Amino acid sequence: MSEVALNDRALGTTKSTSRAAVLQRLRLTDNIFLGLTRGAALLVLAILSGVILALVIGSLPALKTFGFAFVYTEVWNPVTEQFGALAPIYGTVVTSVIAMLIAVPVGIMVAFFLTELCPKMLRRPIAIAIELLAGIPSIIYGIWGLFVFAPFLQKYVQPFLIDTFGNVPGLSSVFEGPPYGIGILTAGLILAIMVLPFITAISRDVFDAVPPVLKEAAYGLGCTKWEVFRNVILPYTRVGVIGGVMLGLGRALGETMAVTFVIGNAHKISASILQPGTTISAAIANEFTEAVSDLYTSSLTALGLILFVITFFVLAAARYMLLRLQKQGGK
Amino acid sequence: MASFASNPLYARRRRADVVAKTLAYAATAFGLGWLVLILGILLYNGIGGLSLDVFTHDTPPPGSDGGLQNAIVGSLMMTILAVVIGTPIGILAGTYMAEYGRHGRLSQIVRFINDILLSAPSIVVGLFVYQIMVAPMGHFSGYAGAVSLAVLVIPVVVRTTEDMLNLVPDTMREAAASIGLPRAHLIVRIAYRAASAGIVTGVLLAIARVSGETAPLLFTALNNQFFSVNMNAPMPSLPVVIFQFALSPYEEWQRLAWTGALLITVTVLVLSILARSLTARK
Amino acid sequence: MDTATQTAPATNPMVRHAAIGTEGLPEKVTIRNLEFFYGESRALKGITLSLYANKTTAFIGPSGCGKSTLLRILNRMYDLYPGQRATGDVMFDGDNLLAPGVDINLLRARIGMVFQKPTPFPMSIYENVAFGIRLYEKLPRAEMDARVEQSLRRAALWDEVKDKLGASGLSLSGGQQQRLCIARTVAVKPEVILFDEPCSALDPISTAKIEELIDEMKKDYTIVIVTHNMQQAARVSDFTAFMYLGELIEFDATANLFTTPKDKRTQAYITGRFG
Repeated sequence: MSEVALNDRALGTTKSTSRAAVLQRLRLTDNIFLGLTRGAALLVLAILSGVILALVIGSLPALKTFGFAFVYTEVWNPVTEQFGALAPIYGTVVTSVIAMLIAVPVGIMVAFFLTELCPKMLRRPIAIAIELLAGIPSIIYGIWGLFVFAPFLQKYVQPFLIDTFGNVPGLSSVFEGPPYGIGILTAGLILAIMVLPFITAISRDVFDAVPPVLKEAAYGLGCTKWEVFRNVILPYTRVGVIGGVMLGLGRALGETMAVTFVIGNAHKISASILQPGTTISAAIANEFTEAVSDLYTSSLTALGLILFVITFFVLAAARYMLLRLQKQGGK
Repeated sequence: MASFASNPLYARRRRADVVAKTLAYAATAFGLGWLVLILGILLYNGIGGLSLDVFTHDTPPPGSDGGLQNAIVGSLMMTILAVVIGTPIGILAGTYMAEYGRHGRLSQIVRFINDILLSAPSIVVGLFVYQIMVAPMGHFSGYAGAVSLAVLVIPVVVRTTEDMLNLVPDTMREAAASIGLPRAHLIVRIAYRAASAGIVTGVLLAIARVSGETAPLLFTALNNQFFSVNMNAPMPSLPVVIFQFALSPYEEWQRLAWTGALLITVTVLVLSILARSLTARK
Repeated sequence: MDTATQTAPATNPMVRHAAIGTEGLPEKVTIRNLEFFYGESRALKGITLSLYANKTTAFIGPSGCGKSTLLRILNRMYDLYPGQRATGDVMFDGDNLLAPGVDINLLRARIGMVFQKPTPFPMSIYENVAFGIRLYEKLPRAEMDARVEQSLRRAALWDEVKDKLGASGLSLSGGQQQRLCIARTVAVKPEVILFDEPCSALDPISTAKIEELIDEMKKDYTIVIVTHNMQQAARVSDFTAFMYLGELIEFDATANLFTTPKDKRTQAYITGRFG
């Protein structure tokens, strides 16, 4: 190593020839790269701001014309140019509620199975299979729902529901009318199948994060698996599970294609979940390209804005909860 | 011991345990059942229409036979352009968060916003691109479709890039720094290389995500009954054609819709299995 | 001080190098009043210490005493992490390396480091070594080959890898990986080499090889080694610094420190009463 040029041996502001030039070049590329990455990060922010801005600007004509009444009127008449968002909002909420009522308990039980009951050998394959379910594009759920699931419901399930609950006071109006096959209930069921894997995957992740000593302590007291799950795992991970549920809810609220096929696209609110209805995303998907007048387009954009605001808060809450669990686990 | 087993309280606890376990088994069977049912029926309905014609003929007018060539080409072109636009942006943004500002304020905000974008309704992205591209340009176009898909690619790539770079041990960075490697070189030559499998996984997952996306294409790329490689004009895509054909009353169209659905599903599943196996090897 | 010189090896057989005085030895690095902070908490307190050219200096002390922290200041590795800062002077050939405006990349090329765990880059053996050279020098293929070979020979690894230079650096054994890291470090021609517990992840045979190497390398480099293994410090170093709770307790020729420690805490540590 004696051939190291001695005149290179000064720090920083060295006047030595080649190395200084090399270093200058390196410093330049360093700064350029930092600038590029920071720019890309800022672009992500810009995209979200752009989405909000574009939606707000696009909705302005509708919001100016109808004011706040847009949110709570049910009429949707392209001919007279009267638009109200209540029916799609109602449909969005009801289909999502039906989906969550089914998917949450089932998803949590599947996660319970995967973390506590499943033989080790089967754990990975089953987990992957459930995740594949999450990867199937929503349009597949849509076409499947339209051609297979809806006729099945129409033929077997809905007549049964109408017969069973048709005369029960209170429930009769919920299950009223002819069995169409398509409608609010069908959309809710399809959504349930779609969000099930999301809830399962996140629940499993948070269950896995429970410190083994905690579980062992409970098993040491003679607790059964179910008791350990109920009394140790679930309370410990509550925040995370709620986060996962909210994430699933965010998906259900914004899902378009699976719903559009089977909802029936009727701008009305009926008490019966067997009747056709619409959701925000289905209304936009079905009508946007047909909307000829500016007010019509703007009203649909306003629907998009409402959907975005709702899902934004649901998703933000979900992230916040998952973040809280992470911090709790980090301690 | 015998008295313990006959203890009524204990018996009740045992019963609750058995019931809960049974429910858990049933729930899992329920979930897996849907997967089998959906894939099975898809295969049954889709495979019949699968022939070479699907790839060599364009979408037919109602009542006649044809294929999906134009839709497949359109989907490919828009997906490729979306990946070309979205991947570098996603990788760079993920790099900033993992390498430069790991705990910085900007990173925290971007991480939060990115997570929102990751699950935001894709139809809203369609509306956004309609406002910024279709309306000003005055017509639907393949470019608009590609941009809306790119908006969906970015958050997936950002997320996986950041996660994978975070897995690169700090000792590796220190070792690189210890021979005088500047930050940018350290990241590009060492960290990217160490995280390469993970980053490729992210890109594959992003492709899987967008190749089935329909909603954002409906009013950006629209559709086109004919073969077209002009990205400045309306462009057909597999998902949109499926949507249109499935809801039509024509039997030939419905059959093509099933075939298209099978193609998309196979693509997506192959991509996600590939992505998974890439990272699982380590 | 020199009176102990002759008796030292006899009383403490693990000390290999006879005690030497510091007068007249050229100082490569001079540390004055060095303090170091992790955020608000002070990890090093008023360290003043000299590292002599072409000698090996060991930092010892119980874990958490600040020995690794001190080492990582010498090549400003702490700069990678926000919230860490150092005050005081660290003079390196007459320039303060803590001063703003110092080019950190050049500094690190001149003060190399070998880490606790072997950290080969995810590339071939050849590339691992050539990589650092290429940063600052454009060499023709033949010269580059020669430099790589020279560096690998320096690290006593050449004979084991000369037939598989294209193989991944990760395919080597732990001890070989560590020597590859040494080759990578010497390839960029540093003047000082910092070893951060270089053998703690290695088996005894690999450890012996590395120690032998360190002993030989001080002909060309100034060497600093952090170790939790007192025998190792005694075997490889000329000077030893004992640190405790962020302070430098005692600094002396290794032979003196291990035989006639002046501070009670040093004595307690080297006789194994805490640590």
